[in-house]
Amino acid sequence: MNRISMQRFMSYPLVLSLALAACAPAATPAPTDVPAEPTQAPQPTEAPAATEAPAATEAPAATEASAVALRWRTRPDNKEEADVYAGISDQLAAKLGLELAYEPGGTETSSYQDQLITEIEGGTAPDVFWIPGTDVARFATGGYILNLTETAGDFDQGAFYPGPMFHLSFNPETGESGAASGALWGLPRDVSTFGLYLNLDLLEEAGADDPRELAAAGNWTWESFADVTAKVAALGGDKFGYGASNWWGPYGVWVNAAGGSFFTADRSSCAMNTPEAKTGVEFMQTLYGNPNWAVPYGDDTEAAFRAGNLAMFQNGRWATPGVRTVEFNYDVVDLPNGPAGTPGNWLFWGAYVVNAKTEHPAEAWALVQALTEADVQAQVSASGANIPSRVSQDALDAFLGFTPPDNAQAFLNGIADAAKPTAEGPLWAGNWPQVDQVYGAGISAVMSGERSVDDFVATICDEAAPAFTK
Amino acid sequence: MASTALTPTAAPVRNWIPVIILWQVLIGIGLAVAALSLPAQPDAAAWNPILLWGASLLLAAGAIASLYAAFALWRRRSVGRVAAVLVDYLVAVLGGLLGLHLLGVFLGLNALANTFGAGLPWLLVVFLGYLINAAGDRFDGTQREVLFRRAGDLVMAAGFIAFLFFIDTLGGLVWLAGRLAAEPLATGILVVVIGCALIIRLAWGRPVAEALRASHMQDELLSGYIFLSPNLLGFLLFFAGPLILSLYISTTTNVPGGGDAFVGLDNYIRVVEFTVQPLAAPEQPAREVFDVSRYSESFRAFGYVVGVRSPRFWVALRNTLQFVLLAVPLSVIPALVLATVLNSKLPGMSIYRAIYFIPSIAAVVGIALVWRWMYDSTIGWINYFVTLGTQAVGWNDPRIQWLNLPSTALLAVVIMSAWQTTGFNSVLFLAGLQNVPGELYEAATVDGAGTVAKFFRITLPLLAPTTFFVVSTTIIQALQVFEQVYILTNPPGSPADSTLTLVLYLYQEGFNLFDFGFASAVAWVLFAVIFAFTLVQFQRNRQSSVYEN
Repeated sequence: MNRISMQRFMSYPLVLSLALAACAPAATPAPTDVPAEPTQAPQPTEAPAATEAPAATEAPAATEASAVALRWRTRPDNKEEADVYAGISDQLAAKLGLELAYEPGGTETSSYQDQLITEIEGGTAPDVFWIPGTDVARFATGGYILNLTETAGDFDQGAFYPGPMFHLSFNPETGESGAASGALWGLPRDVSTFGLYLNLDLLEEAGADDPRELAAAGNWTWESFADVTAKVAALGGDKFGYGASNWWGPYGVWVNAAGGSFFTADRSSCAMNTPEAKTGVEFMQTLYGNPNWAVPYGDDTEAAFRAGNLAMFQNGRWATPGVRTVEFNYDVVDLPNGPAGTPGNWLFWGAYVVNAKTEHPAEAWALVQALTEADVQAQVSASGANIPSRVSQDALDAFLGFTPPDNAQAFLNGIADAAKPTAEGPLWAGNWPQVDQVYGAGISAVMSGERSVDDFVATICDEAAPAFTK
Repeated sequence: MASTALTPTAAPVRNWIPVIILWQVLIGIGLAVAALSLPAQPDAAAWNPILLWGASLLLAAGAIASLYAAFALWRRRSVGRVAAVLVDYLVAVLGGLLGLHLLGVFLGLNALANTFGAGLPWLLVVFLGYLINAAGDRFDGTQREVLFRRAGDLVMAAGFIAFLFFIDTLGGLVWLAGRLAAEPLATGILVVVIGCALIIRLAWGRPVAEALRASHMQDELLSGYIFLSPNLLGFLLFFAGPLILSLYISTTTNVPGGGDAFVGLDNYIRVVEFTVQPLAAPEQPAREVFDVSRYSESFRAFGYVVGVRSPRFWVALRNTLQFVLLAVPLSVIPALVLATVLNSKLPGMSIYRAIYFIPSIAAVVGIALVWRWMYDSTIGWINYFVTLGTQAVGWNDPRIQWLNLPSTALLAVVIMSAWQTTGFNSVLFLAGLQNVPGELYEAATVDGAGTVAKFFRITLPLLAPTTFFVVSTTIIQALQVFEQVYILTNPPGSPADSTLTLVLYLYQEGFNLFDFGFASAVAWVLFAVIFAFTLVQFQRNRQSSVYEN
C-alpha cells in the first residue's frame, strides 16, 4: 500500500471517530453564567394579609449519589430572573451533591410546553422542569411526568397554597385530591395574580377618583371602576381607561367576579352558559363596546400603558419589572369587586415536575423539594416577578420588599382567602387547549361586536362540548 | 450503446468472489431472520401493523436480493455483482444509521457545535500552516521552499493536535468505546456495516468486474447510481421518508399514557364528517337534533341544520380560500404592472428593481413583527397616518382595528403577504418581458397598434408561460400561508378564528393539541387541495398556451 493510500486509509476512521467523539455529551453540565449575589430581602412594608405563614419545611437531605447529573428548566420572565435561577442551581448543586445544569426556557407563547413534550418524546428533555398549572393534566395523562407519591412518602403538602396542591395531588383514577389521594405530580414553583397597574398622572388628568382610595374605603366595585374608566375615556384621542391582554385570564376575572365559572363544580363540563357568566361577559362587553373605555381587544395593552395612554392596566405581578421603567407616577390596586362580592381574581401557578423518563427519580424529587424551599423562593421573589408558592413569612417579606410599586400588598390581597381567588387548574376530563381555543374565539367575537352575548351564552357550551369528551 | 465485456483477470483475484458469495449468504440469512423475528418481538403488538409488516417486507426483500446476488455470483453472472453492491450499500447506510441511533450519537449532535467550537481557533492555526506551506511555491526548487514546506507542515500538525486536544477527542472516543461495550446490538450492526463496506469495495473493483465479464455499460450504470446515491438517499430520507411517515401517522391516534394506535381512515373521516338534520323550528337548538359532543353546528338553511365533526377545519379551509382569492390577484397584477414599468429604459430602474425585491428576501418573522406594530390600532403608524389624513379632509377617523376585527384581520394579512410577494413576482415577469422579441412591437407599431393594444395582443399572450408559473407558485404559497398569520395575530388565528388557515390549523392540532394523527390527515387533505388547484391550472394552460402551436 503506497503512502497516499495509507493516508486515505487512516483519514477515514479519523474523520469518523472525530465526528462521533464530538457527538459525545458533555462530561459535565454546561457552565452557566454566575449571577450577582442574590438580592438581600428587605424588611416588609406591611405584614402580608395572605394566609398564615407556617415554618418552612426541612430541606431535603443531600443525596449520596454525588455523581448524578440532572438537567432542569424553568420559563423565566426575563434575563435577570434566568440569572437568579442559574445562581440557585449552583447553590443547590453544592447543597444536594448533584451536578446540576439549568436551562432557561422560552418566555413567550405555549411553544415552551410544545417543545418540552417533543423533547420528552425524543428522550432529550430535562429531568426536572416547570409547566403551567393548566398543563398538568395533559402531561400526566400523556405519561410525560412522574407520579411522585411513592418517592415523596409523607411529604407535607400543607406548606403550600391549597389551590395548587388540590390540582397537583388530583388522582384522575379515583377523582380524589389531597395527601392520601395516591397522586402527586409536582410542587408549585410560585403563584401570581392580577392587579390593576395605575397611571396616576392620567387618572388625575381625567379628574377620576383614586382607585386606591376607593379600595381602601371598600368602594372599589364594578360601578366605581366603570366610573373611573368613563372619566378617562372622556379625555378622548388615544387615551383609554382600561386595558388587558386577550387570553383566558382577563376575561375569566369578569366571569368569576360575577359568580360564574369556566367549568362546572366537578370540572367535567362547560359552565359559560350560566346567568352569572353572562353577567361577566356583558360587563366586559360594556368596557370594550364604549369608545375609549378599553384598549381594543387584541391590541398591545402594555405598549399603550408604557406610552402613558392607559389609566388602568390589568396584568400579573410578572409585568412589574417591565412596568418599573415608565416615566409617570404609577402604583397598583386590587381588582374591583363584582356582583358576587369578590374581585374574581385568579391564583396563577406553575409547578416543578419530574420527567417520566428520568433515570434518577429520587434525586429529581430532591431537586424539586429544594427548588421550592423558602430560601430559594425568597431569592426568586426578590427579583419581583413572582409570589412564593410556599406560605412562608421569609419569602413573602422578600416579595413585599421589592418596590415600586408601593402597593405590592395588592397582589397578596388578590390571593388572600378573603378574595376567594380561583386557582388556575388543569382539566382532567377534557382538553384544556381545545377549550381555550373555543372560549377564546367566542369571547373575541363578542368583544369585536361580531357576535352577541346572548348568542355566545346560548351556544358556547355546545361548541366546547367535544373538548370535554377527550 | 454496444456493451463490451472486460478482459478476464488472473486467478488470485477471482478468489474474492467466493468471499463475496459467502458474505451475501450470511447477509441474506441475517436479513431473513430479522424479517421473521420482527413481528415476534415482545412489544410488536404495540406497533402499527402497517409499519411492522412494511419493515418486515423490506427486510425480506433485502434477504431475497442478497441470496439472489449470491446465487448469481455462484453462476458467475455479472448481475450478481450489481445486486451485491446495491444490497450491501443499502444495508451499510441503513444499518449505519440504526447503529448510530442505538449508540445515542444523534442525541449528541446538539453537542457538536459546542465541542467543535472549543477547537475552532486551532483550525485557524492549521490554515496558517497551510499558508506558510503554500508560500513555498514562491521559491520553487530552492532551499527556502523546503524550509517553508517543513515549517508549514509543523504548524499544521501542531494546530491539528491542539484542535484534537481541545475538542476532547480522547474523552469522546472513551465515551464511544463505553457505548459500544454497553450496546452489543449496535456494535454488531456496526461490524456488519464495516463488512458491507469492504465487500462493496471488493465487488465494485475492476478485478471482480473483469472476472465476471461485466459489461462497460453495467459498470457505468453501477457507478452512476452509486455516485447518485447521496442525493437519492437524501431525497428518500428527508423528503419521501417524512412524506410516507406522515401518511402512516395519519392512520394513527394518540393513546392516553403514550404510544399510538392504528385507526385506519378515521382521521380523514373526522376531517370531513358531517351530519344534516331537519329542524322542527328555525330557532331549535342544535343540541336537540344531534350529539353536540360529536358535531358542532356549521350552518342552517331550508329547515335543516348542518353539523360538522371538525368545525375549525372548515373555517380554516374557508379562510385559506379567501386568502388565495385576495392575495393572488394582489400579488400578481401589481407585479405585472411593476415589471412593465421596471422594463422601461428610464434611469435608475436597476435600483428600483433591487428595492422592490428586498421584501421577498427579508425574513418573514421580522417583516410580520414590523407590520404587527404598524397595524396596531392604538399606537400603529398606519392608523396614525389615517388619522392625519382624515383630519386633513375633515372626515371621521375610522380608527381601523386591523388585526382585532374578524372583518379586517384577514385583509391585513393579505396586504402584508401581497406586499412581500409582489417584488419577487415582478422579477419573474421582468425576465419574461425581456424575452419578448422587440421586432413584434416594432411590427405592431408599423401596423398602427397603440400601447394598450400591444400590451394585450403581444405582451400578455407571450408572457403566458411566465404568468402560468407565477400564478401557480403564488397560489401554492398562498394555500400554505402560515408564518404571516402565526406572527401577525395573537393568539395565532385570532380574532375569532378569522385568520385561521389550513397550515396553522394543522400546526395547532399537531403541536398544541398533540393530535399528530389528525394533523397529518389534515396535511394530506391540504395536499389534495393544492394538487387539485395545480392540476386545473395545468389543464387550462395546455388548452390556452400560445406556444403549443
